[in-house]
Amino acid sequence: MKSLVAVSCGILMWAACHLPAPSPPPDPGAELIEKGRNIFFNETFAGNGRTCGSCHPAENNLTIDPAFIASLPKDNPLFVAEFNPALKTNFENPRLMREFGLILENLDGFGDLANRFTMRGVPHTLGLRISVTSSDGPRTGWSGDGAPGDGSLRSFATGAVIQHFTKTLNRIPGVDFRLPTAEELDALEAFQLSLGRQNELVLPLQLRGTVAKRGQELFLSPTVGKCFRCHGNAGANVPNPIGGRSGNLNFNTGVENLPDQPQDLTGEPVPPDDGFGTPGDGTFNTPSLVEAADTGPFFHNNAIETIEGAVAFFNGASFNNSPAGRAVGGIILDGTQVVEIAAFLRVINVLENIRQSIELLKPVAQRTSSTEEKIRRSVGQAAQETQDGIRVLSGGGLHPQAVQHLEEALRLIRKAEHGFLFRSKQAEEAIQQHEKARAELVATS
Amino acid sequence: MIKHWTIIGLLGILLAVPTAGLAQKTTELFIPIGQSPGLSGKHTLIGKIAQVNAPDNTLTIADATGTYSVSIASGSRIYLDRSKAGLPNSQGALTDCNVGDPVEVKFVDNARSKPAEWIKVQKAR
Repeated sequence: MKSLVAVSCGILMWAACHLPAPSPPPDPGAELIEKGRNIFFNETFAGNGRTCGSCHPAENNLTIDPAFIASLPKDNPLFVAEFNPALKTNFENPRLMREFGLILENLDGFGDLANRFTMRGVPHTLGLRISVTSSDGPRTGWSGDGAPGDGSLRSFATGAVIQHFTKTLNRIPGVDFRLPTAEELDALEAFQLSLGRQNELVLPLQLRGTVAKRGQELFLSPTVGKCFRCHGNAGANVPNPIGGRSGNLNFNTGVENLPDQPQDLTGEPVPPDDGFGTPGDGTFNTPSLVEAADTGPFFHNNAIETIEGAVAFFNGASFNNSPAGRAVGGIILDGTQVVEIAAFLRVINVLENIRQSIELLKPVAQRTSSTEEKIRRSVGQAAQETQDGIRVLSGGGLHPQAVQHLEEALRLIRKAEHGFLFRSKQAEEAIQQHEKARAELVATS
Repeated sequence: MIKHWTIIGLLGILLAVPTAGLAQKTTELFIPIGQSPGLSGKHTLIGKIAQVNAPDNTLTIADATGTYSVSIASGSRIYLDRSKAGLPNSQGALTDCNVGDPVEVKFVDNARSKPAEWIKVQKAR
C-alpha cells in the first residue's frame, strides 16, 4: 500500500513538472496574429476553394515550386482550372503551373484575358516587416504594385481574392467570392508581418567557412560583386537613398531579356511581363536575399532554378545591358566567384533557418506553449526549417559538420513531433544541436 | 572616379520609379463602392451625381457636407459597379453617368484639387 502511495505521489510530482505551464494572459497582438493565421490558411472567401495558403503554404516556406506542386492531390484547389469548367480557360495555365510553378495574373487589366496576362512565380511572405516599405509607399508583390486600394500589405488580400479566388471569370463580389472585411484585413496583415525575420542582418558576419566568407567579401565589394548596392545587408532595401528614395525600390534588371526562358521553350503563350504599372515600365522590386536559397526558383518568372544560376544571371548580358546593370557599371564574376557569393547566400539562409527553428522550439522546451495545437505546429515548422537548412548546405557542399548537427537536431525534433513524454527535453537538445550548427557557420560573441 | 559615381547616381535617379501611386489599378474595377481598402472612407469622395457637365468633362457630386466639382482627365477611369445587382462590373464612360447615381471618387494623389484617378458609378443593371 505504502509503495502504491509512493508511486502515485511520484506520478503526480512528475506530471506537475512536465505539464504545460499555465497559459499566459491573452496578448491582443498575438490574438490578432492567430486570427490572421486562421484566415490565411482556412478562409476561402466563398470562392473557388483556394485560401491564401494554397499558394503560400506554411510547409513550403510560404511559396510553391514544381516539387511541392507535384506532391499535391489532383483535387487541390490550386488546380481549380483543371477541374472547374468555369475556370478552364484564361484563369491559369496548368502546364506552366505544374512545370514551373507559375501563376497567371492580369496585371494590365481584365479586358483581354486571352492575350493580356503575365505568368509569375509566387513570392514567399517571409520578412515582410522589413521588405515592403519604401519612401514612395509600400511595395508588394513582384513589381511593387501588388495591392489595390492604398497599395498596402493590408490591402493585398483584396486583390488576391479577386484575381485568384473567383468561381467564374465574371468576378462578381457577393457571387463569385466575398471580399475580406476590414477586420479580416487587419488580422491578415498582422499575421503576415509576424512571419520570418523581424530585423535586418548586420553585415559583415564573422563567417567561418572559407568559401562563404569570400562570397560575403564579393557581395559587399563596390567594385566586384556590387550586390549590396540594391540588397543592403542582403535584404530587400537599398543601403543608401538613390535619388532621394530609400527602402525597397524597383529596378529593371533585364530578367525579361533572358534568352531561352523555360516557360517560353514550352511553346505556351507567355506575353512579356512589363512589371510595375499599367502599362508597365519594366521594373520589379528588390527581393530579400536572406530567404532566397530555400525559396527558389528565382526572379518574378521563376526563370532560374538554382541560387548559383541566380547569381550568375548578374554576370550575363541580360543584366549588364539592362538599365540597372549599366547603372552599376556592369558586373563581371568568374565561376568561382559566382559559387562563392551563392555559398554566402546559402549560409545566411541557413542561419535564418536555425534562428527560426530555435525560436519555434524554445516555447516547447520551456513548456510555455499554450495549446497542444500550437506545440505541434511549432515542432512541425521547426522540422521544416531544419530540413531546409540541411538541404541548403548540402546542396552547396558546405559545412558538413553543421549538417551533422542539423541532422541530429532533426532526429530529435521528429521524436518530439511524435512523442509527448520527453518532448521538452528533446526540443531543448535540438536547440543545442542548432546552436552547435550555428557555431560552425559563424563566430558568435 | 568622381565622374563615374556621379553618372551612377544620376542613373540611379532615372532608375527609381516615380512616387505616384504604388497601388495595383486593375482589380479596383471589381471592388464595390465604399470597399476599396485603405481608401474608402479615408481618401475618397462618396456621394451622388448632382450634375453631369459633359462639355467641360466634370461631374458635380453631392455628399452630406456639400457639393464638389470633379474633373475627369484623359487618364481618369470610370468603373460601372453593378455588383449590387449581381452583375459583372465593367469599364464605363462619362456618358454612363447619370444624375442621382451613387458614386465614389478617388483623386490623383488623394488631393481633391486634382482630377479623378477613378470614379465608380453604381448601376442597378
